[in-house]
Amino acid sequence: MTATTLQPPQVEDEIPAFRPRKRTALGTISRIVLYVVLIVASAGILLPFYWMIVSSLKTNNEVFTVPIQWLPSVPQWQHYVDIFARTEMITWLQNTAFLAVVITGLQLFTGSFAAYGFSKGRFPGRNILFLAYIGTIAVPWQSYMIPQFVIMTDLGLANTLWAMVALQAFTPFGVFLMKQFFDTIPEELSEAGRLDGLSEYGIYARIMMPLSIPAIASLTLLSFTFVWNDFLGPLIYLRNPDIWTVQLGLRTFIGQYNADYSMIMTGAVLSVLPVAIIFLLGQRFFVEGIASTGVKG
Amino acid sequence: MNRRIAATAALASMALFLTACSGGTSSSEGGETASGGDGEAMGGTITMSAWNVASTPEFQSLVDGFNATNPDYTVEIVEYDTNEYDTQMVADLAAGTAPDVVTQKNQAYFSTYADGGQLMDVSDVAAELTPSQALDSFTVDGTTLAVPYRQDAWVLFYNKDLFAAAGVEEPDGTWTWDDYEQAAADLTAGLEDQGGAFGTYQHGWNAAVQGFANAQVDGADPLSGDFEFYKPYYERALRMQEAGSQETFGNISTNQLHYTSEFGTQKAASTIMGSWYVASLIAQQASGDADEFEWGIAPAPQLDESTVYPDGTPRTFGNPTGLAINPAIDEAKVDTAKAFLAWAASAEGAKAVASIGITPAVVTDEVVETFFAAEGAPQDELSKWTFSNEAITPEHPTSSLTPAMWTVLGDMHSAIMAETESIDDAIAAAEERAANEVLSN
Amino acid sequence: MSSTVAGAPPARRRGTLKVRNAIIGYSFIAPNFIGFALLTLVPVILLFYYGFTDWNVFTGATFTGLDNFQRLLRDASFWKALTNTLYYSALHIPLTLVTALSLALLLNTGLRGRSFFRTVAFFPYITSIVAIAVVWNMLFSETGPINRFLAIFGLTDLPGWTASAQLAMPAVILVGVWREMGYYMLLILAGLQTIPSQLYEAAAIDGANAWKRFWNVTIPGLRPTLFFVTVMLTIGSLKVFDLILVMTDGGPGQATLVLSQFIYQKGFIENQFGYASSSAIVLFLICIAITVFQFIWNQRKDS
Repeated sequence: MTATTLQPPQVEDEIPAFRPRKRTALGTISRIVLYVVLIVASAGILLPFYWMIVSSLKTNNEVFTVPIQWLPSVPQWQHYVDIFARTEMITWLQNTAFLAVVITGLQLFTGSFAAYGFSKGRFPGRNILFLAYIGTIAVPWQSYMIPQFVIMTDLGLANTLWAMVALQAFTPFGVFLMKQFFDTIPEELSEAGRLDGLSEYGIYARIMMPLSIPAIASLTLLSFTFVWNDFLGPLIYLRNPDIWTVQLGLRTFIGQYNADYSMIMTGAVLSVLPVAIIFLLGQRFFVEGIASTGVKG
Repeated sequence: MNRRIAATAALASMALFLTACSGGTSSSEGGETASGGDGEAMGGTITMSAWNVASTPEFQSLVDGFNATNPDYTVEIVEYDTNEYDTQMVADLAAGTAPDVVTQKNQAYFSTYADGGQLMDVSDVAAELTPSQALDSFTVDGTTLAVPYRQDAWVLFYNKDLFAAAGVEEPDGTWTWDDYEQAAADLTAGLEDQGGAFGTYQHGWNAAVQGFANAQVDGADPLSGDFEFYKPYYERALRMQEAGSQETFGNISTNQLHYTSEFGTQKAASTIMGSWYVASLIAQQASGDADEFEWGIAPAPQLDESTVYPDGTPRTFGNPTGLAINPAIDEAKVDTAKAFLAWAASAEGAKAVASIGITPAVVTDEVVETFFAAEGAPQDELSKWTFSNEAITPEHPTSSLTPAMWTVLGDMHSAIMAETESIDDAIAAAEERAANEVLSN
Repeated sequence: MSSTVAGAPPARRRGTLKVRNAIIGYSFIAPNFIGFALLTLVPVILLFYYGFTDWNVFTGATFTGLDNFQRLLRDASFWKALTNTLYYSALHIPLTLVTALSLALLLNTGLRGRSFFRTVAFFPYITSIVAIAVVWNMLFSETGPINRFLAIFGLTDLPGWTASAQLAMPAVILVGVWREMGYYMLLILAGLQTIPSQLYEAAAIDGANAWKRFWNVTIPGLRPTLFFVTVMLTIGSLKVFDLILVMTDGGPGQATLVLSQFIYQKGFIENQFGYASSSAIVLFLICIAITVFQFIWNQRKDS
């Protein structure tokens, strides 16, 4: 596995000359301790998620028993059937998937494009503009939501899925993330590209992007997760039930079944699953996959 | 160069700001133009805001009932989020996309809409209605801006089976707070070796304590900034919490307890709650979410015996729910909207909502009969007496100071009930905040 | 695009090159900037205007100068919210940073099962916030597992954390760290991939121990990423809103009231959007001041 050459602690293993023998035994012990710690921590971290799943399988009145009941008396599997029968879950999933894909795609493209401009471009006003990007991150959305809603309505976008696309595809977050990453890529690589006759666009596409797969992977996962879990944006902009997202639909569903916590948890588990799968696949594919393309400074 | 960018941005924002403003004042709802000739025909359809339509059948009842008597008209329901109703409505009104009839869900926000000029004068509709406290609370300086179709009131719900099991006498309508406190202690003790249950359940909302003080203490005014009158009510609440006759506030908030499951699954033998719980308790007993048991309602405990059954009028509190008209409505639709308001607030409208367990703003003998005819509703005389003999103070006084004052009183409530501050300290702190942050502005 | 400039005299050429570079630069930024300017920058600029008015959404805004800011100075709730926000940030930022960095370093090794552990660490971030609030509140309750565990060490009679004026904030901070560590871990992991392995090899050959390699190779290599992470973490902490809302709603009393919530209360609950805007401006200025400080610090370290 080529990954080992990239991983700092492995470096130690590659230089046997400096390593006394008994450190192997010590290494084994510390490794076991490490695993025990990691497994205990994992259990702790996953506890709320476990509770979510268990609650979704309980009857509503079992959910809040004190002390906490760690297993349902009779698993209520029909909750997972009921939720599809009682709601437009399929439509919500479709809408959310559409938004997550389109927004993430646009965010990746426009964000990395702008980031290249900010990182490598030489033009007047660059720092001021960049500061404006970061500055808006520092303003809480609820304080400028009303003017934004009015603009969006005047553009005819309110109450369409495009409102969410317009709202989230151009966020400063992606630009900032990609710019910081591009900053780490040595200027010599771009210079070499220029000498080979590449235009700036060519350098962006042929040199910077392939070298930025870890950042692209992070941005994809984070943007996807954000869109998937966003609630306040859809609440304000998506009023028609046929354009609701999963979070919005679940919320209304919950409202209808006043404090039916087992059903709430069923919905919560279902809403987490797609993101969890994307993450599992994504981080395996991207974070591991970069070993072969790694930066050779 | 930087300056030039700033100037361009400022220009762009100015331009947008101007379009934004012009957009805010015109109504784009429906998209029809009020061009003279076909105005009458167009006026047949109006839109109305609602929430939780699937589980709140009152809107459909109103619409259907109105439609039955006025077959030429149609009312279309526009659904809003229950919890963020006012956030969505404020945004819609600002952008000019709000429906024709703006339902007043939270009385606390009424002044926001009224002061913002977002509600049409409907005094002519109100003039035809029976005067009521609810109607008054939608009236600002003699101008009525909304009419009530629903009026909730807080009452005592009690579990007859648990009272019998504990050997405690059921409420007879004469209870003062002392009787209630005693009964809650007796119930807790009496139920101890029968599976155990609390004598009563007091939900975590500040209204559960403050609402009664506002309604029952003479001269009480939550907007005065003088909160001393809440003290005896808090002393009792803490005493009962200490004695174990009710669940503690800390457990209610950390364990997210809900009155429906506490009373509905017999973890508490009684609870003081708003009358909307009648409809949901009936529904939950039918669906199996609540246990099967006999229950009844009685007037909320009183400060002294002058206001108790059978000769007094018990004092309690509750919110009215009203209908208002968006001033940006098409001129041609105004008459339709007013006809709808007039019908919803009439005795006819009252019967329509009473039949599904909602307490209407107008109470006549016929309405009471309709209300208690619902399957699963209590049948005893005291329940019916309670329903028609109450003096109801609004939970939220009509004033632009109300929302800010409620924030202050809410913080005071959680500080006292979680016992992070003594009653005196918390009241003093709230009075100081009221003076500095609410009354001075 | 550049062929016409090729034969120009050097002075002019430098000038046109500048123009050309500028055009290319702007062309990169344009697709994102147009959307950003219209839907984010313009409303934010309007907010800066509204902060000096008595705007209430419905009626026109009247310019009131510095009135709102003078009122903020006198507003005890604002100060309480500001103090709480700084309290939250002062603990949340370093704790999250250290946890995320340690996790990233640990899970960037050849450790077996690292994919699983990375996924686990990221899970809190994707789990529904409603579920998070419910379950953590129960874990922190008076007779809940956390208090029972602490009782083993003699810490008895602890109240329900989120219903206690002293413990509510620590509880929220803990949940905040738990929720966000995986998120920042992911960003740091991405940053770690850019550090050339040759640098570690060279350092090892020079006899640098693990600690020295960490300080002399890892940290400098991670600087741009860490700058991004600390800026996002700082702004995120100062803006913390939904977590507090679902866990404690600012209570008990005002024990966990934070600035974002104060802004929300003033705007959407009390309909004083002008006043809310002015507090948003203060929050913005604090964030910017800290970011600029971090930026300068970063620049100095860089050189």
